[in-house]
Formats: sequence, C-alpha cells, structure tokens
Amino acid sequence: MEPDLAFFAQLFVDMLGYWWIIVPTTVLGIVVGAIPGFSAANTIIILLPLTLSAPVDQAMIFMVALYCSSRMGAGIPAILVNIPGTAGAAATPLDGYPMAKKGLGQQALAISFTSSNLGGLLTTAVALVALPWLARVAYVMHSVEMIVVMLFGISLIAAIAAKDPLKGLIAGLFGLMIGSIGADHVYATPRGTFGFLELYDGVPLIPALVGLFAVSEAFLFIESGSILSDKGRILVARGGWHGTMEGVRITLRRWWHVTWTSMIGLAIGVVPGAGAAIAAFVAYQQSRFFSRTPELYGTGHPEGLIAPESANNGVTAGTLIPLLTIGIPGGATAAIMLVVMQYHGMPTGMQLFSTRPELAYGMIMSMLVTYLFMSFTALPLARYLSRVTVVPTAYMAPIVIAFTLVGSFVPRDYVFDMYLALAFGVIGYIARKTGYHVAAILIGVILGPLLEGYFLRALRIAEGDIMVLFSSTIGNVLWVFLIVSVGAPHIIEYRRRRRAAKPSRGGGE
Amino acid sequence: MGDRRDRADTDDESGADGSRKRPVGGELIVPVGAIVFTLYYITTILHGPWEAKANAYYIGSTLMALCALFILRTLLAVRRGEATLGLQRLIEPRNLMVKRLGLLALTVGYIYVVHWGGFTLTTFVFLAASILLLRDGRDRGFVLALSAALALGGYLLFIVAFHTRFPKGPFEILMQQVF
Repeated sequence: MEPDLAFFAQLFVDMLGYWWIIVPTTVLGIVVGAIPGFSAANTIIILLPLTLSAPVDQAMIFMVALYCSSRMGAGIPAILVNIPGTAGAAATPLDGYPMAKKGLGQQALAISFTSSNLGGLLTTAVALVALPWLARVAYVMHSVEMIVVMLFGISLIAAIAAKDPLKGLIAGLFGLMIGSIGADHVYATPRGTFGFLELYDGVPLIPALVGLFAVSEAFLFIESGSILSDKGRILVARGGWHGTMEGVRITLRRWWHVTWTSMIGLAIGVVPGAGAAIAAFVAYQQSRFFSRTPELYGTGHPEGLIAPESANNGVTAGTLIPLLTIGIPGGATAAIMLVVMQYHGMPTGMQLFSTRPELAYGMIMSMLVTYLFMSFTALPLARYLSRVTVVPTAYMAPIVIAFTLVGSFVPRDYVFDMYLALAFGVIGYIARKTGYHVAAILIGVILGPLLEGYFLRALRIAEGDIMVLFSSTIGNVLWVFLIVSVGAPHIIEYRRRRRAAKPSRGGGE
Repeated sequence: MGDRRDRADTDDESGADGSRKRPVGGELIVPVGAIVFTLYYITTILHGPWEAKANAYYIGSTLMALCALFILRTLLAVRRGEATLGLQRLIEPRNLMVKRLGLLALTVGYIYVVHWGGFTLTTFVFLAASILLLRDGRDRGFVLALSAALALGGYLLFIVAFHTRFPKGPFEILMQQVF
C-alpha cells in the first residue's frame, strides 16, 4: 500500500489521541535523560513488563516518546552543570555551559529545547516522506565511508583546541588510546586492561563521561562559591520569561542552521551503530567550519549549542529507519523495540509496511507528535530548571558526586565502574587545571573504539591493503570534504593574517 | 571552565629577578602519563596479532611523538627562564587544599562503603559530611535535613519508583520487609 496524504493525516490524528501516553512519558524521559547513567534503553528494560503486556501500538508509542524525550533531557545537565546526561549530549556543554555561567542558562535551555524539537520535527517529517530512499543510505555507508565520518568527528579536536593545538592533539590521541583499551575486535586479545576483567569489553562510556565531566567539575566547583559569574548572577536574579523567549527567537532566526545540522543527524542515525555522539560532534565541527564567527565557538555561542542538539535529535528518527525497513536496530533502544515487536509477533522489514502500515508509519508519526507535544511541555521548564545554577557550589559538588557516581554503577552493576569514574575524574581534574580540554579526551574515548572497529573491518576485507580507504567513490568524496573542512580554516586564517599584516607594513614604510 | 583556567594562566610565579615565570610542571602530567600508558599498552600487545596492534602503531606512536615534542618545548621554555617546573597551577588555591583532599577521601570512602552500606544511608552520610566540610561546619541542622531529604528522595525515585539497580544495604532491605 502506497501511503497518501489522507493516510498520514488520519495517522496524525490517531497519534494525537495517544496524548495520555505521550505527555507523561515525555516528563519521565526528560528526567531519566538528565541523569547520567540512565537512558531510554535502561528505562525501557526496567519497564519491559509494562510494554510487553500493553497492546503493541501503545507499547511502541511509549518507547518512541521515551526515546525522544530522554535525548532532549540529556542536554539539561550538560548546559547547567557541564555534565552530559548521555554520550549523545557530550558536545552540548561546549557552548551550553559557558552560556549558563554567563547567567544565560534559561536562554541556553530554550535554545536546546527549541532546536531539539525543531530538529526532531523536521527529520521525522523527512523520514516519513523519504523512508524508502533513506533506507538505502544504510547500504552505501560501508566501513570505509564510516571511517571518514568518524574522522569528521575526531577533527573537532583540532577545532576546540585552537588555543594550543599540541595540547589538543595530545588530549585527543590520549583519549583514542584509552578508547582502545579492551579485547581487540577480531581475536579478543586483551590490551591495556591492567588485568581488570571489567575492562575486557572496553572502557564503559558512562563512567568515562561521569568522571571526565561530573567528578572533575565538582572538584572545580569548590574553588568558587557559585557556578555563575558576577554578571551572570545579576542576570539570573532578574528572572522572568525573557530568557526563554529570547532563546526561542534566536533558534527560529537560525532555522536553516537547525535544518542542515539535524539532517546530518538523520543521515548518521540511519547507519546502524553510528549513534548520536558521532552526529553531535560532526554537526558541531561542520557548524564551526561554515560559521562566519568560528572564533566564538566554545565561548557560549548559540550556534555551537544548536548544532549538536539538532543533530542528536535528528538521529532519533534515523535510528528507526533501519529497524523498520530492514529489521536491523540502529542502537540499544531500537534493539529493545525490536524485541517488543517480535514478542508481539510483528514482522519487520518490508513485510511490516505491507501488513501493518499503520504501525510502521505510526511509530515515526508518534515521534513527530512527541516532538510537537514537547514543544509546549518542555519550554516552560527552562525558566525553573535554570535556577539550578544559583545553588551554592558547597551543596552542588557533593550532590553531583554522589548521584553521578551511583549513576555510573547502574548500567553494569559493577562497583569497579565507580572507581573507574573516580579515576577519570582525577584525569579530568588534572587536564582542566593544566589547560587540556576534557571534551577532546572524551571524543577520543567515544569514537576510538568505533573507528578501530571500522578500520579493522575495512582492512580485513581488503586483506590488509591500506589503499582500501580510497577505494569507494562516496568515500573519496567524503575524504575531499574532510580535507577541505580541516584545511580551509587554516588557509583562511593565514590569508586573513597576511591581509592584516600588509597595510601595517605599508603604514610603517 | 574558561575563567578558572584563565585565572590559572595568569597565576605566574615571580622570579628572584622580579620577572614573571609560568609554572608549567603540572602541564607535563598528562603527556608523561600518556607516554607511560602507551608504553604499557604496547607491552600488552607485543605478541598479539596485527589486528590488535594496528591502533597502537598508528595512534600510540603519534601520541608519543607529540608528547615528546611537548616535553621538549616545555623544557626549552624552562631553560630560557620563561617558565618553572612548579605545580602551582594544579595546586592553587592552596587554602582549599584541605577541603579538596577531604572531599576526595570522602568520595573514595563513599565508593568503598556504598556497595554494602546501601545507597540511602551512605549517600546521607556522604552528603552531610561533604557539605559540612565545604561549609566549615555551618548550618548543621539544615545540612542534615537536606542530606536526609536528598537521600530519601533518591531512594524513592530510583529504587522504589524506577526499580533501579542501586546498591542496596540495611535501610533498603528493612524497607523492603516493612512494605
């Protein structure tokens, strides 16, 4: 059956009728997304008895709503206290937290919510219309192409370490080395595990995230009485809805920025296993590359917040596509959705579209409706959530340490992970105090194992021939884009300096 | 982090001749640690298949070269009299050293105890002790009440409502038997 406009309109109306599932689930999703260590996947597993006993359409709507809202919730602590709720929000504090410190936390949250919702709405609408074509993206993105996509994300290290590139590269490569701890992808040879069995699967992301961001930040909190700068305190004291309105206005004025960065998220989300962290880093890097004011990135620039938030919400729609069209889950949450679908006897792939089109398209439509509802339910929260920044750091630091450390225990149930988070906290603290960017380390830790996996897969297919990296047309086009996006800023900066130097030399003569 | 780091950037040491020297000793910790870790990593893969070694060859060798370059750059700056190997950037502000080490000790204690002490009790003790430490023992009543409220709130939200696998101890077991 070919869906037409009437079909989509009816589906939209049907989904609106499920507001009683969607609205409370979005509140739950925002809460679990905001707590490091929790995620939509964890929560769905906990609530699996509920989803298995409910009718399949309601169960799927619940899971989709939880997935979208937890993605958005992860940006809240990233902005307010520099602690990303999930790896997908790891690029959010780069500009979100500096905004919060300036007293613009409310505005930053409004920007995050609006760009998340707008990005989510746009990509979901595109996914609905272009489902068959988008499904093909998963087929053309092989190991070689994904290596280049990873390198786009990793090249962000150079961008965020512009002040001292050598330190930035050391931090990034150190992160990549840490990311390669664990059994190798082919023969499971243990590498750099210090004899800990808990590290054989690699460095778990949540303890790394908690340590590098939360624990190290908490120890830095105590060096000042407040997160806010003096000016920031005055701004926050004013209160009102102005910050929210301004955040919405800033985002809407940059609608094109939201559009193209969310499409990056959609394209990356379609590739199984790619994930929101890659999308967020790539979108941030590209946003900075095309910006007229790249020097403002990292200082609390709205575009530096819009890009990762739009992209990581674009991923949510993308993740559903391989699940629905070829029956391959794009991530942990999608994998659990697949389990629930199979439990209910639902087919996957094209059979699902032919036998239950209302369920197949309904899942994507429920995502669209979730984002629509969240536009109204999340925004008013910005004003009240931003008050977190006025809590004195003597209270904030122990609360952050206690709750995030226990959060790092939750995914695997290992006390070891709490010690690991503390170890990363010490590394993060030393790095921050001595001018190394923890985000650069984290990029390495997140993308390192993925890059290695794709790299080894490509080499094995080509029987060790390194030239395989330049063997595909799409890959080669991406290589050219990568070289341009890494090299061009330096060339532009060099030419700008030369132009600036010429008149002064002339003046001197 | 910017402003705190910027403060550290200007936190220079006056030399005997009155000139300002940057204390850069702390900046060497990350590269030296990276070199030590990479060397250890290499020892674990010496006899492994090439698939296990690929990363260390490409990334590890580049990392060690960059670290060596950074250490050389730093030592040259020290030799030129522009910097010292002092650790001031890492240690400052000195007046918070006791609080910082105290919080670290409490954090290690929290991780050690929480597994058998359970989330609620251990979190209450940790929060109360840490906040009192950071607030120089002021507002004891309020701090104790706040710590109890937060620990109980966490228990209700994570363990009762979400059935999360938080560490369980005497309090959680007692509550399970009561209700």
